[in-house]
Amino acid sequence: MWRQHRYKMLFSLLLLLSGLLLAIDTGDAKHSNEFDALDILGEGTTLLVACGWLGLIISSRPTGRVTEWLYYGSLLLVYSYFLDLLDEFIRYPDTMRLMSWLESLPAPVGMLVLTYGLIGWHREQRAINRQLRGRELFLRDHQLIDPLTQLYGLEYLQAVLQREIELHQSQHKALSLLVLDVDNFAAVNRRHGMAAGDAYLSQLSELLSSHLRYSDVVCRYAGDRFIALLPNTALPQAHIMAQHLRQQLSQLSVENSGPQLTLVEMAVQQDSAISALQAADQAMALAKKTTALKLQPI
Amino acid sequence: MSIRHFGYQDKILLLQHGSTELLSLAQRRGALLHKLLSGTGIFEQDLHKPHGRLHHNDWLKLLQNCQQQLNSPELPYLLGGALLNSRYISLCQSLQYAQNLRQALAQLYYFRHQLFPCFYGRLYQQQHCILIELKPALGLANQQGFMLTVVFSLLLELIKQQLGSVCGISLQLQQPASPQLQHQLHWGVDVSFNQSVDCISIPLTLWQQRFIDADLQKFSATRRTCRQLNHVLSKQRALPESICHLQRRALPQLLNQDQVATVLGLSSSSLKRQLSQHNTNFATLLDEVRRDAARQLLQQGHYSNRQLAQKLGYSDEHNFRRAFKRWTGLIPSSFKGMFNFN
Repeated sequence: MWRQHRYKMLFSLLLLLSGLLLAIDTGDAKHSNEFDALDILGEGTTLLVACGWLGLIISSRPTGRVTEWLYYGSLLLVYSYFLDLLDEFIRYPDTMRLMSWLESLPAPVGMLVLTYGLIGWHREQRAINRQLRGRELFLRDHQLIDPLTQLYGLEYLQAVLQREIELHQSQHKALSLLVLDVDNFAAVNRRHGMAAGDAYLSQLSELLSSHLRYSDVVCRYAGDRFIALLPNTALPQAHIMAQHLRQQLSQLSVENSGPQLTLVEMAVQQDSAISALQAADQAMALAKKTTALKLQPI
Repeated sequence: MSIRHFGYQDKILLLQHGSTELLSLAQRRGALLHKLLSGTGIFEQDLHKPHGRLHHNDWLKLLQNCQQQLNSPELPYLLGGALLNSRYISLCQSLQYAQNLRQALAQLYYFRHQLFPCFYGRLYQQQHCILIELKPALGLANQQGFMLTVVFSLLLELIKQQLGSVCGISLQLQQPASPQLQHQLHWGVDVSFNQSVDCISIPLTLWQQRFIDADLQKFSATRRTCRQLNHVLSKQRALPESICHLQRRALPQLLNQDQVATVLGLSSSSLKRQLSQHNTNFATLLDEVRRDAARQLLQQGHYSNRQLAQKLGYSDEHNFRRAFKRWTGLIPSSFKGMFNFN
């Protein structure tokens, strides 16, 4: 952050230096027995704290309007406190009123400027919070993650699907879904126990998410049904991906002598997430019927 | 013979009849055992003792902990299936060896205190189906929906396993419709929400169909085990259930609190205290009994308001009409019309 504020720091150093030169030019030094230790301590501390504020602002804020207000407000305070400290060491002639004005005027002005900057900061923070809240609803909400498979669940799928449908329709792009279902999963649970069933599901979900692209969203739609959202993908491409996935999955079921899986790809042409998901269910039911007739392993 | 009822402090549940299954389900989903057990009075070392027991209160607390720890809506559905297929629950094994659904459900109902002491059922026959209404037998706090889902999942899973399909079965639930489709996705049956009762309707054709795993010998063996378990978990009912039972039999007379207490062998004040432990009171129970009876009578046939008022022990028909409107928001005649229309 410091690099963004190089000119500002140079300017402040010049300002303070000019104040010092002006003071030395107009007044002359006091004797050491005229120093008031308590005053020096108090004013010195105030100056140090104000300098600290200046440092914090520079180190934590990017350039921008709010930063300018905050910075120059603090700088005026620092300037005023600096001259205040100097007059402990330098005595000015009584006819010279300029130095006492320079001492006392910048402080209240600086306070006002600083306050205005703080209000700006508050507004800015509110806007940022709003922006984050909207985005996190879609990108990150750990409450919606299914604890077993670490995939997002039904609720998230509905929300994201709705948003993607709207986006893709407005941009005239194709959106596809892959639906994967474990055939007769209840029988697996019954034969091998619930623990084995759970382990199988988490294995399956890992395989799924590792064989899809980064842009695809895999969700656990129901107990034994997964849906992958393929943004910006037309049906032929989805078909190729499904073929590829089928090969991978058939290896899994051969290795573990696991249950049969049914995988269906479909293009989303519906207007709402709910009707799209209904269509996915129907496509799955149809696919199950036809595979049951053919008795063909996928 | 009046059946004994259990108090709120009796340990009436076996740990192996649900708790161990629930805990392992939750643990596989990343919940921590000590957090699940916190506040329940269950000790980790007791979990695998064959006859370790717990209060029903602890069970409710356990359910609550699970829901706090995990956001996993599938839990009750899985628990139902896990209970059905557990090797440690002889009642559930006996269900699978039954001849048909009728025998299985009779068995489940007879031994229900071993598995689901929190519900009791009522059967009604309609033209093509039999309705089983489930009523809470004790104070379930906010876990009624969870437990109902567990019971219905167990029943549907049993039917799916033994008869091959759940075609024709439908469910009615009191709870309002949820935007999520969890019920439909897990159960695969029609579910209607916002109904006046929680019930499952099973077509008559399924009722006598032979189970795939029907086995007379294994059935009687597992049934014997259930009987033996009765020595440990004696057959007792929850207090609210006993009271509803008494009141229903006494209709159109209404028993007052002292009479009920005498029949149950309690003092009036301890009856009151024990009911308040179930988060209910005498008047509420009586009102519930009358409401159910009224609905049932109206569905059965053509009673006038005066007859209904008499059958339910109201002093005149205006009082009955007012009560009915309070229960359903409808006057009796429009309720009747709605039912006939359907």
